[in-house]
Amino acid sequence: MTAPIYEVRNISKKYGAVTALDDVTMQLYPGEVVGLVGDNGAGKSTLVKCLSGVHQPTSGTILLEGQERHWKSPHEALEQGIETLYQDSGLAPHLSVAANVFLGREETVPGILGKMGFLAQKKMDVEAHQELDRVGIAVPQSNRSVSQLSGGQRQAVAIGRAVAWAKKVIILDEPTNHLGARQAGEVLQIIKTAREQGLGVIFISHTLPHVMEVTDRIVVLRLGKVVKDAPTSEFTVETLLGTITGLITD
Amino acid sequence: MSVTASAAPSKLKSFVSNQQFILFLVLLGMIGIFTAFNRIFFSVGVAGNVLADWGPLVLVALAETFVIVSGGIDLSVGSVCTLSGVVGAFAIRALTESGMAPYLTLFIGALVCIGVGCIAGVINTLLINYAKLVPFIATLVTLGAAAGLALVFTGGGPIAGGPSQAIQLSVPWLGPISTPIIIVIVICFICWAFLHKSRFGRHTYSLGSNPFATRAAGISIAKQTAKIYILSGALAGAAGMFFYLRLGSGAPSSGLGLELYAIAAVVIGGASLSGGSGRITGTVLGALILTTVTSGLIIVGVDPNWKQVVVAILIAAAVTIQGLRRSEGKAS
Repeated sequence: MTAPIYEVRNISKKYGAVTALDDVTMQLYPGEVVGLVGDNGAGKSTLVKCLSGVHQPTSGTILLEGQERHWKSPHEALEQGIETLYQDSGLAPHLSVAANVFLGREETVPGILGKMGFLAQKKMDVEAHQELDRVGIAVPQSNRSVSQLSGGQRQAVAIGRAVAWAKKVIILDEPTNHLGARQAGEVLQIIKTAREQGLGVIFISHTLPHVMEVTDRIVVLRLGKVVKDAPTSEFTVETLLGTITGLITD
Repeated sequence: MSVTASAAPSKLKSFVSNQQFILFLVLLGMIGIFTAFNRIFFSVGVAGNVLADWGPLVLVALAETFVIVSGGIDLSVGSVCTLSGVVGAFAIRALTESGMAPYLTLFIGALVCIGVGCIAGVINTLLINYAKLVPFIATLVTLGAAAGLALVFTGGGPIAGGPSQAIQLSVPWLGPISTPIIIVIVICFICWAFLHKSRFGRHTYSLGSNPFATRAAGISIAKQTAKIYILSGALAGAAGMFFYLRLGSGAPSSGLGLELYAIAAVVIGGASLSGGSGRITGTVLGALILTTVTSGLIIVGVDPNWKQVVVAILIAAAVTIQGLRRSEGKAS
């Protein structure tokens, strides 16, 4: 098997006296979807924040393509090709689809006006359309305001944006939350497209059938520890639920 | 996954229902009504007065537009305008006494005014970013401090002693338009370009629209906030210089209450105080409507005390119409 693209080794995270993560080790391989599951308070959010550079672990190491990394900010992780879609962070509703896709990565016109920050809007409109199309999202008008889109459409744009920009790793925190069955199915399809493109995907969800459908491997967290890390084929929804709640231990 | 678009409204329909177009019609209607009451209203002299009132108001309203679009509020623009006009007046007097050429003196005076405004902007930024005060409280602190300092420095009276060229500059020569007004119009255009066409403007909108998404996109909220409030201070300082040129002195009362008229102009112009929306053209027209009303009421002989009531009605009407348009937009 190839080397992991992203890896944490023995990381712990303490908030004062509270241990949110306790000696967690996990690997993510390119072209793999790993499901990260656990009950509320199991440490999923803390692990995501360590992986995306929001928090620094108290101890342990984070390795991207085998190299040790100490993220000082989410921006730093972002620049190294790790894209995170936070739960409910969403999009800027007053801005257009294209403006959201290019948010923080705006392209400017050539010459002195570009140096002053003037935007190449037409170019970004066209490219946003192409990028979303490439990851399987058809947006007829990328200059439409996001506030005019439905909840499912917004989520599609948010995920499309993350997949389009991710160079190595994409972390999706509850991307199918609040979505109808058909829209959730479409989101899962986008995740499969991302896997085919060779990205490593970490998929966090409470909806176990979605986890079973889209992941290759599942890491179960319980009280800050990894209690199980096994291929998805070894689980059923029932045994997965049992492992999460602690009814099944091995 | 398909994001289906409903049929785009026709260009004509979207133009007519455009907020700026409605504001323009309101402005024309007002000019018509005031002229019907008193023919004197429709004259170059009155237009010159309206524009002279409009100049400083639109400068602070432009400042307020950037801040409000970003989801903040700057209550300090009025007293920062006052303080920078006063400090500028001291500088101009000192330079005039030292025998410097009048226009160079005024130019340096303008830089001093803008510099004082920038310092106020830096203080607002420090209070918001590091002391973690909400913008309302942070700029309320600066409002009080700047107004107080203006009184302390002047002892309550105007600071004169500058070159006579100051007031001469404020005399209209192109119909009702004076040189400072030309500069203000150029500043309006620059603000329009930066808010609507540049990366800085884009990030200002995104900050007001969704700060979490903005941070997640790798944009530094602290840096963006600093740029916005320093720009706001600089524009308030420019308004201070405008007052100086108009009065020929720096008066400690010149910008009194100006922040409320600035916020009114921005809101009438179609911005939402919850951030993420607003346009420079709306603000420019909103400020023009306010100054037209206040001049018009005086000319048709209404008791000047009614001014504030009329402004209040205008704000209420603008916000109500906005709310109706918004719920209509959601329904369709």
